[in-house]
Amino acid sequence: MKYVSDYIVPIGPEGLKIVNTGAWRTRYPVMDTEKCVKCGMCFMYCPVRAIIRKEDGSYEITFDYCKGCGICARECRVKAIAMENVKEGDE
Amino acid sequence: MNQRETIELLARSEDQISPGISACVGCNVELTLRTCMQVMGPNTIFAIPPGCMGGVGVVGWDKQSGAKIPVFFPLLDNPASMLAGIKMHYDRIGEDVNVVAFAGDGASVDCGFQALSGAAERGDKIIYICYDNEGYMNTGYQRSGSTTKGAWTSTTPVSKDGRGGKKQNKKDMPMIMAMHDLPYMATMSPAFIPDMVTKLEKAKAVKSGLVYLHVYNPCVTGWGFKSDESIELCRLSVETNYAPLFEVENGKFTLNRSLDNPKPLADFIKRFKKFRHLGDEEIAALQELCDSKAERLKNLASL
Ligand SMILES: Cc1ncc(C[n+]2csc(CCOP(=O)(O)OP(=O)(O)O)c2C)c(N)n1
Ligand code: SF4
Ligand code: SF4
Ligand code: SF4
Repeated sequence: MKYVSDYIVPIGPEGLKIVNTGAWRTRYPVMDTEKCVKCGMCFMYCPVRAIIRKEDGSYEITFDYCKGCGICARECRVKAIAMENVKEGDE
Repeated sequence: MNQRETIELLARSEDQISPGISACVGCNVELTLRTCMQVMGPNTIFAIPPGCMGGVGVVGWDKQSGAKIPVFFPLLDNPASMLAGIKMHYDRIGEDVNVVAFAGDGASVDCGFQALSGAAERGDKIIYICYDNEGYMNTGYQRSGSTTKGAWTSTTPVSKDGRGGKKQNKKDMPMIMAMHDLPYMATMSPAFIPDMVTKLEKAKAVKSGLVYLHVYNPCVTGWGFKSDESIELCRLSVETNYAPLFEVENGKFTLNRSLDNPKPLADFIKRFKKFRHLGDEEIAALQELCDSKAERLKNLASL
């Protein structure tokens, strides 16, 4: 096996191993941007880093890897995030 | 570092871990790992021994890597000595790299302890982070030296009438490591991210000797609680003094959060399946131990 690396430890030559954790979701978070006070708590505590901060200082939930744990909803002090059930046929 | 600065730092630095790793839904060790490696930054080489964070794919699989920075997969028994050698190599070629271990309590408190204690005594310049989920979780929730007394684990079962659980006290690893006269030892919690980031920055700045960081991580699956409670329960562990936040710099103890007027330990204990069989007497004994440890810490911090 040939590795291309500047390090003494190899980095996988075929890139990152990425598990499609978005497919695990049974619930998903929905953010009410009217209620959101842009405190960043949901961003700081999301274990997956599925929430990103945008240039204007607002926060957005991305769904590629969100596992639907509900931490963001529980930690939001103004209750701006609600968890909804994933229904049959949702992508 | 305050909350605003912490969020700023996290928003501006790159996540070093693969975006999709198979840690349980709501796992606060995943949050801890991402946060630690984000602060350590791209100039880092790290190692994860067998355990949950290795098992969820971070150490890579089939020619693919689970992280954007180089990650080693040492044995359960030798992360510290392996990294000590790697650090020595980089010192020899004159490159300043953060060399970091991210290891479970089984790997740190039990199996790899002599390697860690040796590296600490020699003063090898590595940063050793132990995530303490109180057991060998990745292999099916077996008890470790770090499991709290009374807890159900798969090797300390509980009978139908509520008898059983672990018979011995939890090994006090932060204190054991502090007594190695380290330049820096600190405890951390994923509910207190600004505190965690401040400590990681301090760890990076240490110029000689081993740094030991101990993270208290209640485990969703092994302790039995709902995924969305993950951070709330970490916070409660600190607020009840179950998981006191403190640091020791060259022998000087500092409390990062007051240990006065804690919430009752029962408020925390009763939230977990693994403690469900405990009666009032057993909980009172845990409270007593917790109080005496808090008292000792307060005394040490007042020196
Ligand atoms: C010497 C040795 N014994 C047993 C194992 C099997 N094993 C793999 S992971 C693991 C659990 C490690 O527990 P811990 O370090 O606490 O990490 P966690 O699983 O809790 O993340 C065990 C026992 C091993 N890899 N090496
Ligand atoms: S925690 Fe709530 S208020 Fe704060 S940024 Fe997130 S959604 Fe907005
Ligand atoms: S549900 Fe969990 S994984 Fe999804 S955005 Fe919220 S905190 Fe992140
Ligand atoms: S078993 Fe516990 S520590 Fe391991 S991935 Fe699951 S929640 Fe995290």
